[in-house]
Amino acid sequence: MSGAERMTTALQTLTGHKDRVWNVSWNPQGTILTTCGTDHSIRIWAKEGDTWTSKNVMSDAHSRTVRCVAWSPCGNTLASASFDATVNIWDCKTADIECVATLEGHDNEVKCVSWSASGSLLATCSRDKSVWVWEVGEDDEYECLAVMPSHTQDVKKVTFHPSLDILASASYDNSIKLYKESNDDWSVFCTLNGHESTVWSIAFDGSGQRLASCSDDRTVKIWQEYQPGNNEGIATPNNEPVWKCVCTLSGFHNRAIYDIAWCRLTGAIATSCGDDVIHIFKEQPQSDKNAPMFDLILTIPQAHTDDVNSVSWNPTVAGLLASGSDDCTVKLWDFTHIF
Amino acid sequence: MAGFSGVLKLTDLDDFIAPSQECIKPVKVEQKAGRGVIRIDASDGGSDIMDEPPKYEKAKITLNDCLACSGCITSAEVVLVSQQSHDELYRILEENNKKVESERLVVVLSLSPQSVLSIATKYTMETEDCIQKLTGYFKSLGVNYVFDTNFARTFSLLEAQKEFITRYKEKDSNPKAFPMLASACPGWICYAEKTHGSYILPYISSTKSPQQVMGSLVKDLWATQKGITPDKIYHATVMPCFDKKLEAARDDFYNEVYSTREVDCVITSVEVEQMLTRDNITLPSFTSSSLDTDLSSGSMITSHPGSTSGGFAHNVFIHAAKELFDQDQDKLEWKTLRNADFREVTLQVNGETVLRFALAYGFRNIQNLVQKLKRGKSPYHYVEVMACPSGCLNGGAQIRPENGVSAKDLVAKLEEAYENIPISNPNSESKVATAYTEWLGGGDSEKVKKFLHTQYKSIEKTTNALGIKW
Repeated sequence: MSGAERMTTALQTLTGHKDRVWNVSWNPQGTILTTCGTDHSIRIWAKEGDTWTSKNVMSDAHSRTVRCVAWSPCGNTLASASFDATVNIWDCKTADIECVATLEGHDNEVKCVSWSASGSLLATCSRDKSVWVWEVGEDDEYECLAVMPSHTQDVKKVTFHPSLDILASASYDNSIKLYKESNDDWSVFCTLNGHESTVWSIAFDGSGQRLASCSDDRTVKIWQEYQPGNNEGIATPNNEPVWKCVCTLSGFHNRAIYDIAWCRLTGAIATSCGDDVIHIFKEQPQSDKNAPMFDLILTIPQAHTDDVNSVSWNPTVAGLLASGSDDCTVKLWDFTHIF
Repeated sequence: MAGFSGVLKLTDLDDFIAPSQECIKPVKVEQKAGRGVIRIDASDGGSDIMDEPPKYEKAKITLNDCLACSGCITSAEVVLVSQQSHDELYRILEENNKKVESERLVVVLSLSPQSVLSIATKYTMETEDCIQKLTGYFKSLGVNYVFDTNFARTFSLLEAQKEFITRYKEKDSNPKAFPMLASACPGWICYAEKTHGSYILPYISSTKSPQQVMGSLVKDLWATQKGITPDKIYHATVMPCFDKKLEAARDDFYNEVYSTREVDCVITSVEVEQMLTRDNITLPSFTSSSLDTDLSSGSMITSHPGSTSGGFAHNVFIHAAKELFDQDQDKLEWKTLRNADFREVTLQVNGETVLRFALAYGFRNIQNLVQKLKRGKSPYHYVEVMACPSGCLNGGAQIRPENGVSAKDLVAKLEEAYENIPISNPNSESKVATAYTEWLGGGDSEKVKKFLHTQYKSIEKTTNALGIKW
């Protein structure tokens, strides 16, 4: 096998899900892959020798589709968001995984869940158009800190900043919103408009100064933070940081782009799409910070036989990517050679 | 006027934010016998077999249909605008003024203290001055009597006190005796009925809100005293919140005998501002008129201590401490917990906590309260629940802050002004005591139940797959 072939052929295909796979997520140590989907299950995979194998299946993790799974930064707790309007919290300290809390409150389908960098906050979003922030207390007590009806439509994705208590959300209303806490309440401090259709997913880079977004409008946008007093002279009303779109990648995907992952180890961006394709982009080495150029460095044309719903970079193994699809499979890809 | 409280907007009950459900309320069309005839248009000169085209009734969705549905409430919005708005009040007054004296409705208007403060602050007026000028203004429009709602609230507070004692005595046999949850906020009631239904409703106090007590007072006690039937009285209230319109429209507050509502029309602080602007009124220089005293605590504005949302927790606490533990409480030490909108106060007897009360304002605190309750972890005996952060002074229909003033600063200003309103003690109002004996026939009579209490009903969620917009 040549190098290029090796890269465009999956390292491994994980089967087991009985219906479409909605989300794939690595634990912070990169040793466990978690997947979930329409079959109401959460599956836990780990490496045995050279192969990734199924370690655990929570077959009725929720009463409806499990849309998203997210590991706490310490790697002991897993949160799962479901169309059954709840979020379950799973204690994964031992192999005997246990559901220790159920967060209720959303009025309908919960679409995404995300932990803050410190692990003390959890954010959730829903088709009910709201974004919630929860405080992780002792004894598996989760208290609702804020409820923000900030979007005018279904909220598809929430994700916390890699180091600060800043939250971002993406919605069917075509916008992205950024939130932070002030005076013991959370509120929007910046709205990112530019996409012409649903923003399906967003991902911060490792520094947290950039955000990548992907949309039903078939483009990827790169947004850059400008702090008050920035050298570029970008106006910052109310003395709040402003986020500007500094790059739009279009013409690469033919259908809605469902997910985007920004690798903290390599800086590479992976996108997954309704056209069954996975693309890998990377910023040109000497590109201008305020007008960065991204190259398409790899395309996997038929990554799956159906929509690719989710992509996730392994946080410790550079170039290891997981993808989940409507074709019910999860695939692992080894892109070590291109970095 | 997408001004309902955040709680209402958050649940899937509405499509203010964007449509999530089409209206799925089946519209009932009267079937009339003999109308099911196919009409043949005989334009060639043949005989027309029907003498007139059938008249179908226009399908109309009432506010009540909307309230009984778990779908949107935007249809309700349209209905609200037509049934309860300042335009409607203008219309009624105009019509009324044209009638001959003997046919006129008696128009009564009840002012909530939170609205008066909002208007006073807007026009930089003293509270007392403002209520007198407002009274003068409404009378100039043709309103016959203007009251404040403090007198009515006294009944709500007294009934809440009594209900608490009853629940306390039942606490060993009734697992849902505690926490008793306040019932004055219609946003909270609507949310509870639609989202948490039968689980949460038994905890909610059956005591009517001050607005609806005022309705009973006006259309029963006062109507009787004046020798007028309730349908000949038009009763409007001025409230800090749009949700109060939903409350006034509930079936429970409709008098079928006289086909009249306890409160016919709710207008809000912002609507009063619009009226003053429309009529080109400079309120501070308008002619004063004293409050009518029949159903007011006095001719001057008064209020109850404890909170700017009615002081329910405060007054129930003081009463319970005395009644159950013989402890005299003067000033309560409220402890701020998670945030300023979640506070608690406790009563210690011999080192033991015997009473634990809380204020929970705003949706996030309501969420935490409800979730704790569901998990059996609520330590409270009573919770004053209000849908709006900061409570009623920050109601959704209060006048917006001027440019450059933050909402927070405005609320702080209103709170300060509220503190300065002369206080009335609910337990020492002689007029109220008289009303209990003369109007209601004692403290435990059927009339008390009828006029001062209400009930709640769970509203099942109808998820119509066709109605959902993905």
